[in-house]
Amino acid sequence: MRFLSQCAGLAILSLSAGPPSLMAQQSGEEIFQQKCVACHTLNADRLVGPGLAGVMTRRDRAWVKRFIMRPDLVLGSEDSIAAGLLEEYLVPMPNFGITDAEAEALIAFLGGGGGGAAAGETAAAPDVVEPATEEQILLGQDLFQGKIRFTNGGPTCNSCHDVIHDAVIGGGVLAAELTTVFSRLGGPGVRAIIGSPPFPVMQRAYLNKALTDEEVAALVGFLQQADAEQALHQPRDYGIKLFVAGVAGTVILLGLYSLVWRRRTTGSVNQSIYDRQIKST
Amino acid sequence: MNALNTFLFVAFPYVAVIVFVFGVAYRYRRRGFTVSSLSSQFLEGKTLFWGTIPFHIGILVVFFGHLTAFLLPRATLAWNSIPVRLIVLEVTAFTFGLSVLVGLTALMVRRVTNPRIRAVTTKMDIAIELLLLAQVVLGCWIALGFRWGASWFAADLSPYLWSLVKLAPETGAVFALPWVIKAHIVGAFAILFMVPFSRLIHFVVAPLHYIVRPYQQVIWNWDRKSIRNPNTPWSKTRPNNS
Repeated sequence: MRFLSQCAGLAILSLSAGPPSLMAQQSGEEIFQQKCVACHTLNADRLVGPGLAGVMTRRDRAWVKRFIMRPDLVLGSEDSIAAGLLEEYLVPMPNFGITDAEAEALIAFLGGGGGGAAAGETAAAPDVVEPATEEQILLGQDLFQGKIRFTNGGPTCNSCHDVIHDAVIGGGVLAAELTTVFSRLGGPGVRAIIGSPPFPVMQRAYLNKALTDEEVAALVGFLQQADAEQALHQPRDYGIKLFVAGVAGTVILLGLYSLVWRRRTTGSVNQSIYDRQIKST
Repeated sequence: MNALNTFLFVAFPYVAVIVFVFGVAYRYRRRGFTVSSLSSQFLEGKTLFWGTIPFHIGILVVFFGHLTAFLLPRATLAWNSIPVRLIVLEVTAFTFGLSVLVGLTALMVRRVTNPRIRAVTTKMDIAIELLLLAQVVLGCWIALGFRWGASWFAADLSPYLWSLVKLAPETGAVFALPWVIKAHIVGAFAILFMVPFSRLIHFVVAPLHYIVRPYQQVIWNWDRKSIRNPNTPWSKTRPNNS
């Protein structure tokens, strides 16, 4: 979300930008393809974040630049536009550490003539991530479900996320299901979110426990494979099984209670005293 | 919305803890004889067993499970890193949660249907039982609908609770959680808030020493006629407890 908002900011910037040079457009386009395209389109279509067509006509250039470079600060500054974007798109745009020059290039690209956001062009999300090796995929698989712990002690992915893959147990359902995340966000988007979580719950979980570059690459590789081979794997929905196991466990517990307290008083507390009195008179 | 969240997850927890501490102290000092579970076992015992035992054993296991994840989040995450251990932990926790639900339901049915119990029931008793019922239903819902709670509790809620302890609340993650989980958190603090005003206060005077005290011998004079007869030898009328 943060990423989307950032891209939205970028589009706004281009509105007030002057005619960009060819170099700036090329550079901006490259940056866009690497960092923005996972969540934003160049037309009006909503992806993870807003489509960026005409964004520079909707927003002030300085605001867009500030948002591109430090979305976390803008979102945390009670800025009404940023707050509105967050409310609409729910996911805050992550801070990608975009430099001043990169921001200018992006603004030029989004606002320049002959293409880009203003022209309503649609850009497909490319996969610019290098194919993962088999070792990386296996590492990602083990990292995802915790068989191998993250170097900095972060929680395993399957605490909150599920993915359809026969090699891993069913994951959590607190957060998004990730089987098709690679198709939806593309390699750069997935890498960006894992490396710099834009979601508050994920941010807190990995605070001071950031994943290493190797771990991020392995997870991206695993998710790419899970996405590509999803038709070959069976979903593991534990819902009903967990419920049945719980009910069976409860029945066993009730039996244990009955067994442990088999000598409990089942009648009135003073019944036996009364009976003895009657017996002895 | 943010103001409401801030109230529920920052102000209310502190209010609940303060009311709990000072309320319990006040009630214990000023109205000490009311610090009791107000047991109704003398009035009815059969149904009580199937209510109080599943409820109390379940709530103890579930409570200490939450406490462990709060106090030892790293150890909890390390335990959960092996998938089988995670599943065993979650199923066990859900089982004891259902035990609480079964027990509480039995207690409520008993309270409503038994005339003896109804006669000693207060509005506060009903309010507390409904609060507990809502809390345990939400807990079971979370266990099934938002698995694996043991892990994300340790990753997100333990830091939140510790931030409250350190008087530097970190609420970003809590604000973003689903409403079911947020309601469960608020419910927990609401229960804490209600302790001084209800029979829930009995847990602060739980007779833990009963666990390790010596047995109490109960001696019964079986044959009262014989024992009063001066001609009966002692060996025949000796008291016993069998």
